[in-house]
Parts: sequence; C-alpha cells; structure tokens
Amino acid sequence: MIANVLFLLLVSGLPYYVFLEKSDKFTSKSIFLLSALMLFCAILLSFFIHNTHSELLVVISFISAMYSVYRATKTTNFYKLAYYFIYINAPFFLLFEEQGAFYSLSLLISLIGLYSIANFYEKHYGSANYLYVRGITLATPLVGIHITVYLISIGLYPPLPNSLFFLTYIFNTEADLLWYIVVISIYLGNFLVSMKVLEKSIFGKTNPNIHYVDLNSVEKITHFIIITLLTLLSIYGIKEILVWVL
Amino acid sequence: MEKIVLLIPGIPIAIAIILSFIKEKEQIPKVNLILSSMIALLSLCGSFYVIYYDKPIVGLDGLVIYNELSAILVPYVAILGLVIRKYATKYMWDEAGYKRFFILLNFIFASIYLLVMSNNLIVLALAWQLMSVGLYLLVSFNVGSKTAVKNARWTMYIHKGADFVFLLAVILTYQTFGSFDLVVLKEQWLTLSQSPINDPMIFTVGLLYLLAAMMKSAIVPFHIWLPYTSEAPTPVSALMHAGVVNVGGILLNKMAYLLILTPAVLNIAFAIGLFTAIFASLLMLVVSDIKRSLGYSTVGQMGYMIMEVGLGAFSLAVYHLIVHGIFKASLFLESGSIIKYARKDSNIPERFSDKTFSKESIKYENSKTFKLIALFTIVPVLAFIGAKILLAPEFFEFNAAIIILAFAWLTGTQLFLSFFKVSKPDSMKIIVGIITSFILILFTYEYLGLTLEHFLYGKDSLLFYEAATLHINLFTALFIVALIMIIGLTFIYRKPYTNSSNKEPNQTQWKFYRFLVKEGYYFDIFKSSKKGKL
Repeated sequence: MIANVLFLLLVSGLPYYVFLEKSDKFTSKSIFLLSALMLFCAILLSFFIHNTHSELLVVISFISAMYSVYRATKTTNFYKLAYYFIYINAPFFLLFEEQGAFYSLSLLISLIGLYSIANFYEKHYGSANYLYVRGITLATPLVGIHITVYLISIGLYPPLPNSLFFLTYIFNTEADLLWYIVVISIYLGNFLVSMKVLEKSIFGKTNPNIHYVDLNSVEKITHFIIITLLTLLSIYGIKEILVWVL
Repeated sequence: MEKIVLLIPGIPIAIAIILSFIKEKEQIPKVNLILSSMIALLSLCGSFYVIYYDKPIVGLDGLVIYNELSAILVPYVAILGLVIRKYATKYMWDEAGYKRFFILLNFIFASIYLLVMSNNLIVLALAWQLMSVGLYLLVSFNVGSKTAVKNARWTMYIHKGADFVFLLAVILTYQTFGSFDLVVLKEQWLTLSQSPINDPMIFTVGLLYLLAAMMKSAIVPFHIWLPYTSEAPTPVSALMHAGVVNVGGILLNKMAYLLILTPAVLNIAFAIGLFTAIFASLLMLVVSDIKRSLGYSTVGQMGYMIMEVGLGAFSLAVYHLIVHGIFKASLFLESGSIIKYARKDSNIPERFSDKTFSKESIKYENSKTFKLIALFTIVPVLAFIGAKILLAPEFFEFNAAIIILAFAWLTGTQLFLSFFKVSKPDSMKIIVGIITSFILILFTYEYLGLTLEHFLYGKDSLLFYEAATLHINLFTALFIVALIMIIGLTFIYRKPYTNSSNKEPNQTQWKFYRFLVKEGYYFDIFKSSKKGKL
C-alpha cells in the first residue's frame, strides 16, 4: 500500500499544481520540471518495485485527471499544458502497473519536446502562450512539424510510441468497469486537448506584425534527439505489439 | 520472391522520408512519380500472381496478406494514387507547403495499402488510425482558412469516433474469439455459421464494426464531414471521395464472415444504407453549392454500398466502390477544366446556369451515334434477359436482385444526366439514355458482379445471401421499384422544366423543400445545442 501511495504521489495522481500555481516561488516552468522529475523517478522505481494497482487510488487519480482535462482546455500556455498532460495520464500508470512505465516514458519524452517548444516561444515571442502566434506552419514549418508530432503523439495516434504502448496494454490487460471508464475517458481526453491545442497553435494565417523566427542549430539538435528517442520507442513499441500478437 | 509485393505499404513511407530530404522543388515530383509507379507495377505483379497461381501471398508472420481482395483493391489504389500524384504535381506547384503535401499524401496512401493488405486486427487498427490523422492534416492543408480548419476538426472528431469504436470492436473480438488473425477468425466464423447461435456479444461486435465503417464512409448521421471538406485541395478531394470513404466497405468485406453470424446487423446496414442513399441523393439535388452537391452524391453512393452489404452482396460493394471511386475522382480532377469552360472571363465565374450547361451544351452532330449505342446495348441485353428468364428464372425471384436493379437504375440516371446534360430539345435522348444506362448497369452488375463474387468468395457468397434474411415479397419489391422511379423522375427529370413564375408550390412542398435545403436541419440542431437551447 505504501508503494501504491508513493506511486500516486510521484506520477502526479493528485493535482498539486492547484497549490503550486498559487505560490509565488513556482512558475509554470518549474511546476513542469518538478512533475516531470517525479514521473521520471516513478518510471525508474517501477523497474524495482512491483506496483499492483489499488482501485481506490486509480479512482482518485482519475478524478484528478478529469479536473486536469478541464484545466488543460482553458490554458493557452505550453508549459501549463505540458504538466497538465502529466496529471491527465497519471491513472494510466497506476492502472497498467509496471507495464505503464514505457507508456509514461514516451509521454515524458513527448512532453519534453513540448517543453522545448515552450522555451522557444518564451525566448522568441516573449511568453509560452501560443494563441497569438498564429501561422506557424506557413512561417516556420519546422516548428509546426515538431508541435504536430508531439501533440499527435500525446493524442494517441500511431505510429508514435504512446499509441503503440497504449494498444499493447489495452489488449494485454483484464478489462473491468473501472478499466473501461478510465481508458475511454483518458483516451478521449488526451485526444480532445491535444487536437484543440494543435488547431489553435499551428493553424491560421501568418501575422505581419510578428517577426517569425526558425529553430537555431542547438534547438534543431535538441528536437532531433527527441524525435530520435520517440522513433526508437516506436520501434520498441512495434516489437512489443508483435510479441503479443504472434 | 513474390513476397516483395508485401513491401507495398512501406514504399510510400520510404517516398515520404526521401522527399523530406530533397531540397530542390523540381526533384519532388520526379521521385514521387517514379517510386509510386513502382508501387503500381508491383501491385499488378502481385495481382497476376494471385490470379495465376490461385493462392494468396502471406508474409511477416501472417500480419499482411495479398489475397483476392488485395489483388483487386491494391492496383486500383495504386493507379488512382499515380493519377492523383501526377495531377497534384502541377496543381499544387504554387501552393505553400508543396513538399508537406506530398509527404502527407504518401502517408495516407501507406495507411490505405496497409489497411487493405492487413491480415491482423492490430495491424488493421494501426492503419485505421493512421489514416485518420493523415486525413486530418490533408483536409486542413490550407492552414490559413478558418473554415478549412473548422471542417478538418469535424472530420477528425468523426474519424476519432470511428477509431474508438473500431478499437472497442477489436478488444471484444479478441475476448470472444481469442485471435487477431483474420484467416484464423474466418475459419472460426465459417464453422460457427454452420450451426447458427444467438450470441448478443457477436451481435455487438458486428454492430461495432458496422458503426466504425459507417463513420469512415460518411453514412447518415455521420456524413457531415464529407460534403463540407471540399475546401481541401482538389487532389485531396479526389482521394477522399475515391479512396478514403471506401474503407468502410473494405472493412465490412474483411468482416464478411463475421456478419454471416449476425443477420440483424446486415438488416440494420440495409435500412441505414437505403435511407442514406435516398436522403443524400435528394440533398444532392437541392443544395446550391456544387462541391457540397458532389459530397452528398458520394454520401448517397456510400449508402448504396452499405445497402449492398446489407443484402449480402459484399463483392458488389467492392465493385461499386471501385467504379464510384474512378467516376468521382475523374469528376474532381476534371473540375478545373469545367470551371475554365464555364467562365468567360477568367476572373469572373459565370453561374453554372442553363446558359452554360443547356444551351451551350456539347452538341452531338451525329445523333445516330446515340441511337447506335442504344441499339447495340438494348438488343444483346434483351437477348440476355430472355435467356436468363428461360435458364435461370430464380434470378427474378431473388428479392435483393430486384432492389439492386432499382438502384442500378438510379445510378444509371445520375451517370447519364451527368454525361448528357438536361435540356428540353434533348428530352428524347435522355429517355433513351436512362433506359440504356439501366440496361448497361444491369449487364455490368450481372456479369462483372458475379465474376467478382466468384473470384473473391467462391461458393461462400451464397452464405452471405442466405444470411441477409431480409425477405421482401415480389409485390413489395416491385412497389419499391415503381416508387423509386416515380420519385426519381419527379425530382431529376421534371425539376429543370418547372417554371416557378407560373405555379406556386403549396405549403407542404415548400416545407419539404426547405427541409432539404437546410440539409435536414442537421446543423441547426448543433447550433441550437451550442447556444444552449437544447
């Protein structure tokens, strides 16, 4: 039980951000870094500690996730969005037990990509708010491609790893009522939030009042590494599926 | 060696990766066309192998298969893809995102090939979802347009619904039958069909597959994404109407042996297909926007296809989707030429009025040509029908065949009205045209349909017809045929001659017309719901 509670705390099964957002010491950036670090610790721990899911804790994290979906639909800030996604996906980790580790790992890598985009926005456009920087696809296609890849990955579309691990787990686990409620809600929740952001961030006409900036070499290398990691995880995900199917 | 054919779904992905590294714009179409020609050639080789050796090509541990269905559909998609790519080479040249367009196009083709060639439900699920996201990005290709983005969102919502329902169906299939392999499942379903059982779970699984197919094939009430996505580039419209919407029919063909076990699902498919075919065809006639009209025409044809599935005519549905795809793709791809013809001034579009399409319609200098066509079709077909009555009288006792013929007549009418424009001086030509088209389609359905049926399913096709337990007596069938003909004539033939200044329509007619013009108040319901009225 102690291990379960530990995992609940580490994977952000409770919406701490409600308190952290009110604190002056924590910015959106630091809340994401804290949540991501905790999730990373949970992923590492899951390889050493067996995690059997407790229905009560799954229900608690599910309520937290639904609240986070609501909050995510209200924000236009990439940093906030990145940590909301961690809270939204917490029930998956708890429900899929140790199998959820690779799902959470690919989620974490996609979110690091989103965090890098937020950094890029903050550096060049003054804030990580995406709503007023429209026309990215036409002005700086490379940035548009990266945002698309990260959000499609989070929105659970193949051939990106989140979707592949998700598929493996849903076919691999025993389904009960709670399973159906959690899986269906989070599956659609991830999709709705990521599609909403995708629509508002990459589409639209270019704004002549904005000086669009493309990725520099360091940023390109960062994103290349992230995409490579996602590709490697995709290959591993396909292998996992094949092991299960054949 | 023949297993090289199984690489077909990977080739478009390879093309997309190669394209992403090409910097010179001129090189993009060359690479694209050369490599996609290779797909077409490979597909033809694969089809030759399947037909000649009469055995499928199975590979990757049974995950993909090049069977009879693939032998027909893969070359169709490959050749269609080649034409669309060639067309897009010049059409998209001045558009922003030329490379992006071809990369996305290749991804969606890869997903269609994978979907057709999949022999495993998981592979099918992956291809099914990959197609949704590819379509979303292509429909919203014109990123600067608010309406394009909004319509793409609706497309995505409906396709996500289809993905979700499909995944649910796959989970339940695995729980019920214990396998993902379609060949294994087919054997199980065939065995089960010998001693029919009434299992609600099998019904649920069948219904979920039907729902998923309906969503992807734009069947009412999931049709809204198709008529409103014509803002996408023309090659994308051609692909959507000739390729993407067909995946519902492809899925139902893959699940044909499961549907034998669920006659109720087939009946539901028939009823919904019938309603969609009539409703969408009526909307097609009244909507004022030519592109939406084409969209509704496709919805109607998809309804027709689902209806055929509901009657157990699975192979006819395949035939229908291919023929409709070729027809609709050619309509979209030649739309530029028609617009050029319709415009006098290149900057001011003239209305698509009688002036353009009736008085200045193509004149057939030699009217004998038409009479000859009629003569050379009517005489042999009359002989055919005579022989059929003498040799196989049961054909006309087969209720499904009668209903199919009625719809064949509707299709023929649409076809000929498109070729020979409606105009008063040509009315005799139209009457002969309708009759000729009906006979032509009767011929095609009978011969090509049966050949295809024999090739795809052999003797098993009889099982499908037996499973489709919708029994309608001859009188009802004839009544339906007569009703369809009267409605068809009223709406299609008489409408252009109605002079509104002479005769005011009554209140009921106005209400009905308004209902159709408002597209069944479908969008008003959504708007009311958004404003909190509902």
